[in-house]
Amino acid sequence: MNLRKSFILASALGLLAVIGWEFYWRAQDRLPNIDDNKDLWAIQRSKLKNPSDDQVVFIGSSRILFDIQNDLWRKHTGTDPVMLAVQGSSPLPVLRDIVENTDFKGTMIVGVTSGLFFSTTFPEAPPWKRAQSKVEYFNDRTYAQRLNHQLSIPLQKNLAFIRAGEENWDTDVDLKTLLSHQRKGERAGPLPSPFNLFEEVSLDRNVQMLERATNDTAYANTIKVAWQDILKGDRPPPDKASTMAFFLEYATKFQEKGGQIILVRCPSNGWFKEIEAKAFARSEFWDSLVLQSKLPSYHYDDYPQFRNLNLPEWSHLSKEDADFFTTELISIFKNDGVLTNPKTK
Amino acid sequence: MLFNSLSFVVFLAIVLGLYYSRLFAWTNKKRMLLLASYVFYGLWNPPLVVLLWISTVVDWTAGKKLAVLENQRKRKLWLLLSLFVNLGFLAFFKYGDFLLENFTALLNAIGVEYTARPMDIILPMGISFYTFQTMSYTIDMYNRRIERARTFLDFALYVTFFPQLVAGPIVRAKELITQFYEEKRATTQQFLWGLFLLTIGLFQKVVLADTLLSGTADDVFGSRDVLHSLDAWTGTLAFSGQIFFDFAGYSTCAIGIALLLGIHLPDNFRYPYAAIGFSDLWRRWHISLSSWLRDYLYIPLGGNRHGITRMYVALTLTMLLGGLWHGAAWTFVVWGALHGIYLIVERLLRGAIKIKINAWNGIILALLTYTCVNITWVFFRAREFSTAKNMILSMFFLNEDGKKVLYTFDIIKVMLVILGLFLCHWVMRNTSMKAVAGKTNPWVFGVFWALLFFFIVISQGSGEQFIYFQF
Repeated sequence: MNLRKSFILASALGLLAVIGWEFYWRAQDRLPNIDDNKDLWAIQRSKLKNPSDDQVVFIGSSRILFDIQNDLWRKHTGTDPVMLAVQGSSPLPVLRDIVENTDFKGTMIVGVTSGLFFSTTFPEAPPWKRAQSKVEYFNDRTYAQRLNHQLSIPLQKNLAFIRAGEENWDTDVDLKTLLSHQRKGERAGPLPSPFNLFEEVSLDRNVQMLERATNDTAYANTIKVAWQDILKGDRPPPDKASTMAFFLEYATKFQEKGGQIILVRCPSNGWFKEIEAKAFARSEFWDSLVLQSKLPSYHYDDYPQFRNLNLPEWSHLSKEDADFFTTELISIFKNDGVLTNPKTK
Repeated sequence: MLFNSLSFVVFLAIVLGLYYSRLFAWTNKKRMLLLASYVFYGLWNPPLVVLLWISTVVDWTAGKKLAVLENQRKRKLWLLLSLFVNLGFLAFFKYGDFLLENFTALLNAIGVEYTARPMDIILPMGISFYTFQTMSYTIDMYNRRIERARTFLDFALYVTFFPQLVAGPIVRAKELITQFYEEKRATTQQFLWGLFLLTIGLFQKVVLADTLLSGTADDVFGSRDVLHSLDAWTGTLAFSGQIFFDFAGYSTCAIGIALLLGIHLPDNFRYPYAAIGFSDLWRRWHISLSSWLRDYLYIPLGGNRHGITRMYVALTLTMLLGGLWHGAAWTFVVWGALHGIYLIVERLLRGAIKIKINAWNGIILALLTYTCVNITWVFFRAREFSTAKNMILSMFFLNEDGKKVLYTFDIIKVMLVILGLFLCHWVMRNTSMKAVAGKTNPWVFGVFWALLFFFIVISQGSGEQFIYFQF
C-alpha cells in the first residue's frame, strides 16, 4: 500500500475539484454571502448583556429587518441599533426575553406584521418556535459553536459555494439542497415552489434586498410565487386575544423598568397587501393594538411618502427605498420627539 | 467540540503541531494531550469538566488502594466507592428525570396524587462512555486482571483522551494506558492511514448520515400521521443507515485521530449489517460496549455457566440494561428487550436446526437478520410508543391507506444507499478496509480518497451533533 502516492493524488485532485466547484458556482452568478443564522442573532443579543443608554433594539420579523438600515440609523441618530428581528416569526418571545433576562431600559422598536404578531402564543407553532429557538441558542451556545462561527466568517465572505443557510433557500448549493431539486412528481403532495434567496446580510445583521431581486423581474416573481404558495393553504386563525394580552403584559413590564416601546407597521403592497387587508383588517388588529397599548405607533399608510415605495416581492423594500424609509422614519420620530436618547435630540 | 467542525480542524492542527514539535519531552507531550482533552471537552460546557476530574481522582485512588490492599472487605469497599460515584453520576445526570417521572406515575397509579417538577438536568456529553471506561479499570483492578496505571498522568489521560472521550470506543485500561508509557510517534504510513480514516469517518457522518439519510428518517419519524408501508420502511431503513454511519463514522474518526498521534484504538464496528444472526451482530456492532456488557454484566450474572434458565435471565437482563444505557426512556428498554428475545430465539433455533452457511444462504440469513434489526430500530428512534406502534403496523402492511410523506426521489435515494451499505458489508464481512486498501492500486485509491474529500466539502455539514453524544 503506497499511501504517500495516494495522499498526494488525493490532495491535488481534491483541491482542484473544490476550486472547480467554486468557479462553477461563480459562473452561475452565485456570490459569497453571509448567512443570517442563529450565531449572527446571538452576537446582536449579546450586546444587551451590558446594555448602554445609546442602544435601540429592533424586534419583529423580516420586514423591519429589511426596511431599517443599520448604518443610516447609526448615522442619523448616533445610537447603536441592536437588530433582533427574526424572519418569519412573532416578536413576542424576544420581547419576553429582553424584559425578563436583560437590564435594557432604552427604546425598543417593534415591527408589527399582523400575520405573525397576532399569530400565536403556542410554543410549538412555527412563528413562535423560530424566534424562541434563537433565544434558546443564545443561552445554550457553546464556546465551540462561537468559535465555529467566527472561523466560518472568512469562508462565507470569500467562497461562493459556502451556502447552506438556516432558512434552507433553494438557491443554496450544499449537496442536500441540490439533491432536493431532483424531486419530481406528487407522491407526497404538490412540490413547493422554490424559495430563492433575496437578501444580503452584513455581520451586524444589516439586511438589504438582493440587487437581483430588484432588477430582475423574473427572479422577483419566483419569490412572489413562493409567497403565494406559502400563504394559500389552510392556516390556523390568528389568536388575537392571547397575543394581545401577552404583548400588553410584557410591554407594561418593560415600561415599568423605564423602557420605551414604539410600534411600526412597515410597508407591503400588491397581493400581499390585499390578503393582509382581508385577514388582518387594520381597524380590527393594528388600531386595536394601538388603542390598548397607548404606545407611540407608526403605520406606513398614514404617511404619503411611504405609499408608493418599491417592494420587488410585495413584502420588503428595495435597498434604495429601505434607505429612504429609514431616513424618513428617523425624521418623523425626531419631529415627534419619541426618540428619548439625548444623542438623538 | 465536534469532529465535523471548523474549530476541530484548528484544534487538531495545533495539537499535532505541538505533539510533533521538539518543544516537549514525552511527559510534557502527555500533559499537553491531557490539557487539550480538557479544552476539547470544556469548549462544550466548562463546568462539567469537574465531573471528569472527580471520576479521575476517585478511580485513580480506588485503583491505587485495590493494588496494595489485601483485605478483601476493604478492597470491596473501594470498588463499591468507584461504582457508587460513577453510577451515581449516571443515575443523577442521565436518569434523574426518568426516575422522577416513573416514580410520579407509580404514585399516581396507586391513587396518590403527586406532581413533580422536572429537574431539567443537563446531560454531560459522553458521560455513559467515560464512566463505563473508568469503571472497567477499577473492576479489572479488583479482579487483579491488570496492573495499576504507573502515574496519575497516564491514568488521567486514559480517562480523558480526546479522540474517544465523548463517544467511544470504550477502551480498556490494558489496551490504552500501557501505550502511554513510552513515547509514541506515528510512522508516515500510520499518519496517512489515520488521515484516511478521518476522511472516511467524516464522509460517513457528513455525507451519508446527515446529507443522504437523516432528512428522510426525520420526515418519517416526525410525522404525526399513520404512514404508508413504503414510507414506514423507507424511514426505518434510512434511520438504520443514519445511525450506523453516524456512530461508525465517529468511531472511525476517533481511531484515525488517535493513529495520527501514534496511538492504536480498537475497532468498534465490523460491518454489522452483514451479520448472520444476533450473536454475530453483537460481535460486530458497537463492539466495545457489547464486550463491556459481556465482561462486566453478563458473565458476573452467571453467563452460561449455571444452566440454560440462568443464562437466559442473564442475557435478558444484560440486553435490557444495554437498552437503558442508550437512553432514559422505555422505548430503549423495549429495543434492548427485543434484542434479548432475538438472542434467546437464535440460541433455541441453533440447538434445533443445523445449517451449513454458504454464500447463498448466508446472504439470505444476513438479510433476514438486518430486517429483524430494523424492527428494533423503530423503538430506538421513535420518541413515543404510539409512533412506534403505528410504524410497526405500517411496516407489516396493517395500516391501509397510510399517508405518503416521501417523494419518489427520496425513496429511491434511500434504497440505493441502503442497498450499497448492505452489499458493502456483505463483501467486507470477512476482511478489513486496510486489507482492501492494500490490494488497491494507489492511484485508484487516491481518486477514491479525493472523492470522499470533495463530497464532504460540498455537503457543507452544518455541524450536526453525533447521535451517540446524547447517550
